[in-house]
Amino acid sequence: MHIPNGLLDPKISFGLMGAAAAVLGYCFAKVKAAVTAVVQQPAFAAVGKGIKSLVGGGHRALTKLGEQKIYLMGMVASLIFAAQMFNFPIGHGTSGHLLGGVLAVVLLGPFAGTLVIAVVLGVQAIFFADGGLLALGANIINMAFFGTLVGYYLYAGLRKYLSEPVSIGISAWLSVVLAAFACSIEIALSGTIGFGLVIPAMFKVHAVIGIAEAMITVVLINIFKKMVPLPEE
Amino acid sequence: MKKALWFSIMIVILAAFFASSYPDGLEKVIGKLGFIKPAASSPVLLSDYHVLSIPNPNLSTLIAGLAGIILTFGIFWLTAKLLVKR
Repeated sequence: MHIPNGLLDPKISFGLMGAAAAVLGYCFAKVKAAVTAVVQQPAFAAVGKGIKSLVGGGHRALTKLGEQKIYLMGMVASLIFAAQMFNFPIGHGTSGHLLGGVLAVVLLGPFAGTLVIAVVLGVQAIFFADGGLLALGANIINMAFFGTLVGYYLYAGLRKYLSEPVSIGISAWLSVVLAAFACSIEIALSGTIGFGLVIPAMFKVHAVIGIAEAMITVVLINIFKKMVPLPEE
Repeated sequence: MKKALWFSIMIVILAAFFASSYPDGLEKVIGKLGFIKPAASSPVLLSDYHVLSIPNPNLSTLIAGLAGIILTFGIFWLTAKLLVKR
């Protein structure tokens, strides 16, 4: 559901760019804190590096585990990019493809997962003309915020009561429907299609795509976990 | 790491040959209900998952997909390498 250019009102496009920047800035700070640690410099090394390093002691540097985590993010990003190219027919001359939000957060956690989906969306918009550049903010809010970050909290909430695959499946379905709902609201607010038309139409088609999302997400998480040992948090 | 990347490459190969070319959910809804035609985006290098200069559609999509894997993985790989160096 990558929104192309020209579908949204510019005010909405720009507003959502600001919102997307705020969300990604927050996620970036969280991931940065997770992959780095303060390095305590020995006293002699700090000499001559200014008062700050003498009193504060050290700077933040990437940890070994943090480095592994960033490679892992890259692997998941490439997997989701590839899987998003695989459109599957859902009937009525329509196709769907994976969104991958819940896939990303189950493998990477909420903030790294959200950043990964945003990077995939950015690459698609810049290099593949898949999703308009002007609509990138909207696409990030729909798919990286609602479909991924919110998807994580849906998954985590369900996981308290349900088994892992069932929680993944239900949250994956919900994440697609939620992203489609957000997308519908933006289109309706832009005056492109009326609320009463776009919301049921988008729901109907994405309720079906969501079933495939649920199945693919469960299968891919299993395969990925077997291929790549995830670091213990 | 290699296994995971080979797995992504395998999916791109499958997608290049078997992916459905029907419009996706949103495109279908816009096509059916929208009275504004979305502006045709100016073609970029890999528009619509095709390399503009390769006529064979499967091969074209395959190369575009491999480029996408390199780009998405490369951004993170490069970030890690630059941070380690510092």
